[in-house]
Amino acid sequence: MSVTCDDAVMDTTAGTPPTARAARPPLRRPTRGRWVGGVATGVAAHLGLRVPVVRVAFVVLSVLGGTGVLLYGFWWLTVPPGDPWGAAAATRPSALSRIARRPDATGEPGRRWPVTDIAIGVLLVAVAAVLVAVRGDRVDAGWVLPVLVVIAGAALAWSQLDEVARGRLRNRAGGRTPVSVVRLLGGVLLAGIGVLLVVGQATGSGVDAATFVQSVVASLAVLAGVAIVVAPWWLRLWRALADERAARARESERADIAAHLHDSVLQTLALIRARSDDPGEVARMARAQERELREWLYADRPAPGTSLAAALRAVVAEVEDSRSGPGGEPVAVDTVVVGDRVPDEATAALLQATREALVNAVVHGRPPVSLYLEVGEAQVEVFVKDRGDGFDVEAVGPDRFGVRESILGRVRRRGGTAAVTSRPGQGTEVHLVMPYAAVPEAAAPEGAPPETGTDADERAGLRAQHRAQEER
Amino acid sequence: MTDPDRTADEAVDVVLVDDHHLFRTGVRASLDERVRVVGEAASVDEAVRVVHELAPPVVLLDVHLPGGDGGGGAEVLRACADLPGTRFLALSVSDASEDVVAVIRAGARGYVTKAIDGPALSDAVRRVADGDAVFSPRLAGFVLDAFGTAAGDVATGDDELDRLSAREREVMRLIARGYTYREVASELFISIKTVETHVSAVLRKLQLSSRHELTRWAAARRLL
Repeated sequence: MSVTCDDAVMDTTAGTPPTARAARPPLRRPTRGRWVGGVATGVAAHLGLRVPVVRVAFVVLSVLGGTGVLLYGFWWLTVPPGDPWGAAAATRPSALSRIARRPDATGEPGRRWPVTDIAIGVLLVAVAAVLVAVRGDRVDAGWVLPVLVVIAGAALAWSQLDEVARGRLRNRAGGRTPVSVVRLLGGVLLAGIGVLLVVGQATGSGVDAATFVQSVVASLAVLAGVAIVVAPWWLRLWRALADERAARARESERADIAAHLHDSVLQTLALIRARSDDPGEVARMARAQERELREWLYADRPAPGTSLAAALRAVVAEVEDSRSGPGGEPVAVDTVVVGDRVPDEATAALLQATREALVNAVVHGRPPVSLYLEVGEAQVEVFVKDRGDGFDVEAVGPDRFGVRESILGRVRRRGGTAAVTSRPGQGTEVHLVMPYAAVPEAAAPEGAPPETGTDADERAGLRAQHRAQEER
Repeated sequence: MTDPDRTADEAVDVVLVDDHHLFRTGVRASLDERVRVVGEAASVDEAVRVVHELAPPVVLLDVHLPGGDGGGGAEVLRACADLPGTRFLALSVSDASEDVVAVIRAGARGYVTKAIDGPALSDAVRRVADGDAVFSPRLAGFVLDAFGTAAGDVATGDDELDRLSAREREVMRLIARGYTYREVASELFISIKTVETHVSAVLRKLQLSSRHELTRWAAARRLL
């Protein structure tokens, strides 16, 4: 996890917990555990049923009028192949993956060799041959057989193109996976045999072995010659294509950066020039722009509602933009975040309290204002510190709702603890703790004051804390 | 650890390395009389040459620098590793953790962001000249994140490089909360010297630790 130290402008709705996502994997045809096309397995995974149930349903539907076959064929064509569970993992919000990185969903690769496909193909060809042989000369076997073989070969070779067009990742490499090589070789072999048969049929009554071998050698020689001539050209084309792709990626990145600079930085600079007589406003605009640019450059932008750190940065940005110090000057909040987690209702209350504490520190205290948030194993802790004159916490009347209600009460109602430490002349520090399982009697965390949830922790004078004012 | 050649009142000589002329001018103007800028450099090669020529006690080093093999500030640090009397304080506008870890791992004695004000920067330079480490709240946050904040992450022995001791973690948390060294000392009822010892120990662990979390953390950011 990264420590994101500056503040970010972000459209996070700083309290709404992410809606619980139904853990239903999308419709995919898995390659693992399939019998024919993986449709039944995929549908079973999607619906949460057991695979044999779906298979029986398909068979029953097929027997009763053939709907099963039609449905199966339709899904086979339209549903993309892939791992449904992997796809479900890929659609998780990126911020979640960042918090708890799961191992890549590559797992064990699917079958490397399409054994079933090849077996079925061989079986079909054999059956066809037997059928033709048994039925004798009722069809013109001399012509039909070669043409069929050519068509089968071409279909086999071209089917690869179709898979590529459907964006199948495994074939992205373009004919380098074993499956596609087998497909290509098989197709070429079948088509070659078919062509030879056709040629043999056309030239004479039969094909004698010598002519056959001769013609095979001759055609191979021609193919080799063409390959030698065409190879450099093809290589160059390939490289040019790769270069062009890289250039296009660079270009789009440039356009992205230019658009961002134009929309934000240039406009802010123009605004700053126009308002150069108001130093406070200029400083505020510069700070806001810096924050935005930093967030754009350094932070990986988590999806809204998934990152407590991002929500906190949004709160800080809001306070920096809307509040000024006692003299009307803008105040920067020095923010340090350790760890991150998905926000929930308890942390939403914590953030609200943090906001109130920040506003107090900015408006009544003196900079530098420091904010520290630590996501621990069992709780989230927040410290807000300023260097103001401080005040006597005991002297704050019960009618002063600011501190007591909006900061301390808010956290305690959620089962957290809160303490304000302040002595005249030494600044103020607000310490908020929110345990994850929000139970009313939360234990004090390590390094925190021993008071738990009583008014005692407001009696800061009891704490042996002597922080001398910084000498510089 | 005070430099014997220098009395407490004498100004510290500093070489300023940054590729932006405007920024160098700004830093020069903001430093107070306790610090004297004796040289400037704007690129990796120039920095290596100037630092070897002058051998100053402190170098203020920008993390991102042009020239050399493209290694920026970390490259300067490695090229100047043969100068025992020169200490480096990294200065950067960047918040990116890989920048911080790279310069600290290469041997910088501290890391401050360019938003730091003049007196604080002068103070940091003095501290580095005295052999101490300079931890900004941000760097303390990085350390806590890298070494982990869970209860099982506490070191039991002094020689353990891969985990922070309970005391070191306490010091880091206070620094991350915005406490100065002096405030940390009074909060924990220890002397400032002890705080500096703890901080130096953390810096050493950050530079030498092989803690797998840190390694993984850095590897995830393509550092190793």
